[in-house]
Amino acid sequence: MRAFYKGGFQPEMNRREAALILGVRESAPEEKVKEAHRRIMIANHPDAGGSSFIAAKVNEAKDMLLGKKTGGSSIF
Amino acid sequence: MAAKIIANLLVAGGTVLFRAASQAYRQAIVNGTRAGMTAEGVQQAAKSAKQLTLREAEMILGVESGSSWQDVMKKYEHLMQANEKNGSFYLQSKVYRAKERLEQEFQEQGLPTDGPEGGQQQQQQSGGQ
Repeated sequence: MRAFYKGGFQPEMNRREAALILGVRESAPEEKVKEAHRRIMIANHPDAGGSSFIAAKVNEAKDMLLGKKTGGSSIF
Repeated sequence: MAAKIIANLLVAGGTVLFRAASQAYRQAIVNGTRAGMTAEGVQQAAKSAKQLTLREAEMILGVESGSSWQDVMKKYEHLMQANEKNGSFYLQSKVYRAKERLEQEFQEQGLPTDGPEGGQQQQQQSGGQ
């Protein structure tokens, strides 16, 4: 049985952590990232008994992996 | 004869490289300390992710401070199950570590942590309050 990762989340998320959160490779294609995000978000949805903290992390992970991919051209 | 020359060259080359490397190393440390990166600073940065604070543990599980152990276990089991099926191992780990941290906190305060029922059988004498 695999040993659980130690400690809490990183103080500032990076691509590596984002990939781990979504269970995909850092180089995963956009479709895979979106699919993983959807699936994990449903499982961790705050309205369905999940934690909003985790939900926020899952969203942040998706943004991080997708944002860099499309060149991060958004000014927001 | 040629071998001797080659050997000398190798030794000389090696010495030059070694000296350059150690000088670079020392310079890197100086540059680092000037930029505020000390040995303890680096350790602290690595630690802050490892030291799961009580607050973060509560946020991960979505419980408020002062929740009962029952509430903690309910959230823990729900999250573990949900992420076992449709989450990532990484998220499972965080949930596990959060529960571990809260367990530690409860035990330090001398509160019962045995199972969802919240300790009807066990009597825990707390050391001090």
